[in-house]
Order: sequence, then structure tokens, then C-alpha cells
Amino acid sequence: MEFAYGGAEGRRPRSFSMAGLSLAVARGEILGVIGPNSAGKTTLIRLVTRVLTPRAGDILLSGRPLGRMSAWELAREVAVVPQEAPPALRFTVEQLALMGRYPHAPARFFESAADRAVAEVAMAATGVLELASVPVEILSGGERQRAMLARALAQEPDLLVLDEPTAHLDLRYQVACAALLERLNRERGTSILLVSHDLNLAAQLCDRLLLLAEGRIARLGPPAEVLDEELLRAVYGCEVSVDINAAHGRRSVQVAWPRR
Amino acid sequence: MKRRALLVGGLALLAATAAHALTYRDMTGREVTLAAPPMRIVSLVPSVTELIYALGGESRLVGRTDFCDDPPAAREKPSVGGMVAPNLETIVALKADLVIGTTDGSREETFSQLRRLGLPVYLVTVNRVAEVMDLVARVGELTGRTAAVGPLVARMNGEIAGVRRLVQPYRAPRVLYVLWPDPLIVPARHALVTELIEIAGGRSVTDVDGDAYPRYSLEAAVAAAPEVIILASHGSRAGPVVREKWERLASLPAIRNGRLYSVSGDLLHRYGPRMIDGLYQLARAIHPEAFR
Amino acid sequence: MVPTAARLALVLAGLAAALLAVAMLALLLGSAPVSATAVLRALTGRAESGSIESVVALNLRLPRIIAAVLAGGSLAVAGVGFQALTRNPLAEPAVLGVSGGAAFGVVTGQIFGLGPTILAALGLAAFAFAGALLAAGAVFAIASAGSALSIQTLLLAGVIVGIFFSSAITVLISVLDFNRLGGVIHWLFGNLAPVPPGPLLLFALLTATGFWLVLGQARALNLFMLGEETARQMGVDAERLKRRIFIGAALLTATVVAFAGPIGFVGLIVPHLLRGWLGQDNRLLIPTALLGGGIFLLAADTVARNIVAPAELSVGVITAFCGAPFFVYLLRTRARSLL
Repeated sequence: MEFAYGGAEGRRPRSFSMAGLSLAVARGEILGVIGPNSAGKTTLIRLVTRVLTPRAGDILLSGRPLGRMSAWELAREVAVVPQEAPPALRFTVEQLALMGRYPHAPARFFESAADRAVAEVAMAATGVLELASVPVEILSGGERQRAMLARALAQEPDLLVLDEPTAHLDLRYQVACAALLERLNRERGTSILLVSHDLNLAAQLCDRLLLLAEGRIARLGPPAEVLDEELLRAVYGCEVSVDINAAHGRRSVQVAWPRR
Repeated sequence: MKRRALLVGGLALLAATAAHALTYRDMTGREVTLAAPPMRIVSLVPSVTELIYALGGESRLVGRTDFCDDPPAAREKPSVGGMVAPNLETIVALKADLVIGTTDGSREETFSQLRRLGLPVYLVTVNRVAEVMDLVARVGELTGRTAAVGPLVARMNGEIAGVRRLVQPYRAPRVLYVLWPDPLIVPARHALVTELIEIAGGRSVTDVDGDAYPRYSLEAAVAAAPEVIILASHGSRAGPVVREKWERLASLPAIRNGRLYSVSGDLLHRYGPRMIDGLYQLARAIHPEAFR
Repeated sequence: MVPTAARLALVLAGLAAALLAVAMLALLLGSAPVSATAVLRALTGRAESGSIESVVALNLRLPRIIAAVLAGGSLAVAGVGFQALTRNPLAEPAVLGVSGGAAFGVVTGQIFGLGPTILAALGLAAFAFAGALLAAGAVFAIASAGSALSIQTLLLAGVIVGIFFSSAITVLISVLDFNRLGGVIHWLFGNLAPVPPGPLLLFALLTATGFWLVLGQARALNLFMLGEETARQMGVDAERLKRRIFIGAALLTATVVAFAGPIGFVGLIVPHLLRGWLGQDNRLLIPTALLGGGIFLLAADTVARNIVAPAELSVGVITAFCGAPFFVYLLRTRARSLL
């Protein structure tokens, strides 16, 4: 599956624009999108899911232009896990997971037995199967996150898009989440587009990183290339230092906090 | 021979059936057809209830409203509820063959419901003294008491003429009649009370065209400088609060001269025989000098 | 518990049985002293036409019962729709300005003396629709920025439009002839009356149409509760959903106001009770609301008809009487969210 932008421009209110974006998400890849706030990370998600349409250029999904696909076709291929689960959801985990089956048969009133089977698999994959009859609103942050992920997986997408998946999670759940994503990518071959503030998570998890700054690509490439001290300093506007772990070659980013 | 007998017989039958189908024309001009003279009448109009008793036709009355409280004997008849939304089931259960209603203060929908159920509806509307007399005659016709109509009408007309004579020598003062104090509601030209005021020797300052009982601005009423103010009480006497409100308007000739009176609204807004009592109340208020 | 067709059928069967029971009770209770056997005779066609039991049971009570069920069901379904759409448990059809507009239409129509014949009764209903359309259109226009319907603005617009029409009604009443006042005020309390067969059929058709519009979006509505953007990303046509729910619910509300006047609280109480019992899935809530609302209003109307016989209370008075204590109870027992 391929995602290609050719010179896409998106518009958000308050005259923000992205220009000259050209990138492709390779099949089975984990691509991380990083960058400061209002660099265009959320806009990118919206473009990819056709909440916004580019003014120029095309977005292609496996070679097909996004504009020509129906909403359901798109939802069958791309699933989004939003940053926050909406509050006060009395649906159970199972009911939530089943919602992911909508784009596969929108005309049906109730889900079929086959739908229920897929949902079960999705819940098992994210480890919430035992919580199937529990209302979402009483789950912890991490569990809720996994329930939403199960819903996304039930859509059986080729591309999974996650918006700040670890933003509100405890450390333990952050680790669990990263492991889960990694496993999904490995076992199912699902491509993942990950938007994150957490540079270290991105460094650990992603095959490639896209660093956005003010609506433009600052750099696109493997973490080794993108997590460069000078570049980061320029883009984020603060002092950072990048340590390279000798054993794994992985990079971790440290911020220079003000001295007391 | 046989054929002629048949013909005569047929004609007689025809005549007989024709005699039994009664068509009345009610006071809105509508035709009301009954198979026979009404024997089970439901009255939705307190004034009509009073008239039925006054004419002695109460044996034909089977139902009344909660507001039909005069004469006291009327309270023994079953009630069908209020005037705005009488209970249809009760009316049907009473096996009524005629319902008498008024277009004032009721809903058209009630009458169309009744007609749909097969109940003939006879509507009355009274705005002038002459129409009151007409109403007496109609009630007499409906209750089969036409013989009692003449004497009653004569008595009422006689009393009215008497009042006129009594007040005739005096100048007609400007009268403000307050049906309801807040908002201020007054009788206009087409209200019955206005004619009664005129008979009682007064001149209503709110004698305007339009609705029978419009809202009036207090300023306009004050600007007309009424010499007599009459407050209608509904139910019990006009409360002290209401009187006090008017007494504060010390600039009015009526207040300066202490000419603020209460009269019973029941007497003046029902168009039955007690209208005469109401007329006397008005006359005593407007021309007390005629009664000494 | 996953909602399935089987579960829905079971719940509906239970509600239908309850409805039948309440309807039977309503047929037997009334101001006219008609015995149960007489009523049954009338129902099975064995009573003389024109006899008291026939007239009372078939021409008075039965049409009124049907009207009550249709009205209650319509209001409850409209309530579920509006609440899911706005994600707000207090979104009642009245709050969205539509019933205010319809009431204004009817008051205007009554002032012009409409009312008597069947044709004019339809005319009055037409005035109600005109008023409801006006209100709905205004709310829609205010809340639509370009082509998208904003839910937050919808709520505010609804309240404002509702207030506007309330004031307009007050103005009309204040200049109305004293004589006609009683009738108009009586109507404003909301009253169920036996509706003749022709208009009753129309009532049923309109209810069916509105119900159909809302039911069709039931599944998508569930997704919509995750958030509009998320729903769109899952393939929901959000604009179509909003339009259909709004129009369907507005149609249902306008119909009820046209035939029975403004009746409040049904669209608030019934959906809430159902959510407590069945959960939040709109595919269960919408069909059950049709029956549940019918049961509720029928029960309320039966009380209204009988509690101070031969006088009658307005059914709107009974529902309002239930409404306030109900919400006090709610607020005290459920500190968490109401939706």
C-alpha cells in the first residue's frame, strides 16, 4: 500500500498552509510524524482521512486518488485512533469494537456473526477481550486507548493512523502501547502512520520519521538522519542533545532544561 | 278506489314524517335538524340554563356546566365539566339529543366534535337586548314552553322601560365600566353591557368599534374623565386591592365625588332574567338620585 | 451485551404487550359509566351502532388512545434523535425551537378562526407545519456555516428561536379578543382529543415518515457519538446524518404539535428511562422509544382524563408534573453524566 502526496496543500482556518509535501508511506512501514505544534501534524491526518481536501495535488491510496473513493472505501483502508476517546461513553468495549465494522457493510442494521468474529480478533490483538462487556467510560486511560485501537483494527485497515497515542498514558502503558504497535506491524503487516510529540518513542518505534516545520518537510528519513541536533534545535527552537546508544545504535533526544 | 286510498295514505305518511323532522335555525344562521322535539338537552351556557328554569322547561334539561349555578336547583343536574372543554363522554352517556352552546368563550372544536358524534348543536350569541328577547323565544321553542315566553318577555321589557323612565330626566354621566382591572378590559360598542349602561342613563366612555371586550389603556380611560366608575366583580365582591388602585386616581371626577361602585358580574354578563337585576344595579350606581 | 435483531425483537414484544395492556385499561376507564363487558361488546362489533358504548368506545376513547400512542411515540423518538445528535441529554424537541414555531403557527391559525371541519383541521395542522418549518429552517440556517451543520450552534439557535416564538405567542395572546383567549390557552397546555379517522391516518403516516428517517440513521448515529470527525473517518456521511435526524425529528415534533398541542417532557423522560434499561445503542433506543413513548403518554392521558372526572386535565400538565421531580431524582442519583 502506498500513500503518496504530490505537492499537496491543505488549508486550515487562520491561514496555515502546507506546501510542497511529497512523501510516500511504504507498505508495512511505521512512519512517525514529528514536529512542533501547529507544524501541520493534525492537518496531515485530516488530509489523509479526507476530512480536509488538498487544494492542489493528489493523495493516492495504493495508487487510487482519495477524491474518487467513497467514504466507506476509505474507511476500509484507513483507520484512525484519535487522541482522546470522547467522555461518557456507555458503550461496552465489544460494542465499540463492533462499530469498526460499519464501513464494511454500512447498509446492515445489526452486525453479522462474521463481524462479531473480526471484532473479537481485534479485541484479542489489543488485549481487551476480557473487558468486552465493560462500559468504556469506567476503563482506565490505557484500557480505553486499547479499546479504541481494537475498534480501529476491526476496520481491517491497511493503514493505521494514530494521533498522539501515548499522550495521556502512564509510562507502563506507553511501553505497552509501543510494544503493541510494533507487534501489529510485524504480525499483520499493517502500515502505521504515527503522529507524536514523543521523540523518543518515535525514534524507537518508527522506520522513518517525517519532521514537519510550519507546513513543510524539514526532513524525511530514518531516525538516524532526522534526529540531528542542529536540525532539531532549528526546528524546535530550544537546546537539545541527541545521545546515541552504543549497543543498539538508537537515538534518544534530551532537552536541556534550565539550570536551577 | 284502492289507488286513491293508497295515495291519500302515502301523503298522510309523508306529512307525518315531515312533521316529525324539525329544522331550527340557530343564532349563527346554521340549520339544526332533529328528528323530534328535543327532550334531553345539555346546556353549555349558564345564561341558557337560567332561562330554561325561568321558563319552566327544566324537565328537558339533562346536563349543565360547572358554571351553571343559578338557580340553585340547577346544581342538581349532572355537570359535563367546563365551558371551554366539556367532557364528551359524559354528554354522550347522558343520551343528549341537543346541545346548546355559545360562540363566546368556547372552542369551535368542541362543537365539531359533538357534530361528528351525531349530536345536534344549537349555537347562541347575544350582544343586544333585543337579542336577549330573541333568545328567550328560542329557548321557549326548544323546550316546548312557548306559552311562558310571552309573559317573561313582557315583564322584562316592562322593567327595562321602567328604568328608562326613571332615569330619563337626568343628564347622562360619563361611565367607565371595568370588566377586568388588570389588564384593563372594558366593554366596547358591541357588548351587551354597553347597551345596558345606556338604558340605565349613562354614557360609556369606551364605546368603540371592534371586539366586544377589548383591552384598553389606563391612560385613555383616565383621559376620558369618567364621572362614574363601575367595577365588575366575579365570584365574590370586588377585592379591596382593586378598589384601592382606582381610588388613588384622585384627579378623576368619579373618585373626587366618590362615585366608585362594584356590581355583580354574574348579573350583567349573563343574558337571562337576572339581567334585569343587573340593570337595576347599574341604574342605582349611575343615577342614585332617581331612587330616593 | 451486543444488540442483535433477536434481542430487539424480544424487547419490542415485551413493550408491545405492555402497550396493549395500558390501551385496554384506557378503553375501560372514562367519565361515561360504561361497563367492561359493554366496551368489549362495542370493540367486537356486537353493540348497536349509535349505542352509548359504541360511541364512547369506538368514537371517543379508541381514537384518542391511538392519538396518544402516536404522539408519545413521536415525541420520544424525536427526543432520542435530538439527544444523540447533539450529544446532550437535555435536548428535547421543545428546546430546539421547533415546537415553539409549530405552536405559533397554530395560535395564528386559531386567531383566524380555523378549527371546525376536517378540512380546517388539516388547515390547522398545515399552520403548525408552516410554523415548525419556519422555526426549523431558522435554526438550521443559523447553525449551518456554509455547508456544515454545527451542533453547538444548533443548540443555541434552538433555544433562541424557541424564545422568539414564545414571545410572539405572548404578543398574539395579549391582543387577542377576550372571548377567544380561553380556547387558545387551553390548546397551549397540550391536549389529546379523539381525532377523526382521516386526520388520524395522516397523523400515523407522518409519524411513520419521521420514524423512518431517524431509524435509518440509527447505526451511524452510534458512530457519531464518538465525535463527528471520528465518525467521518469511519465512513459516516455526517452531513446527511445531521440533516436526516434534524428533519425527521422536526417532522415528528411538528406533527404532534399540530394534532395535540405542545406537550413537554416526554422527549426527555422516556429516552432517559430507556437508556438506563437498554444502554446507549440507538438501534435499540429508537424503535423502543416509539412504543415506550406511546405507553408513557397513553398512561398520562388516561390519568388526565380520569383523575378529576368529569373535568379533564390537560395531558401536558401531567407530563410537566412528572418532569420536574424526575429530574431532581436524576440529578441526585446519578452524579455522573446523563448521557
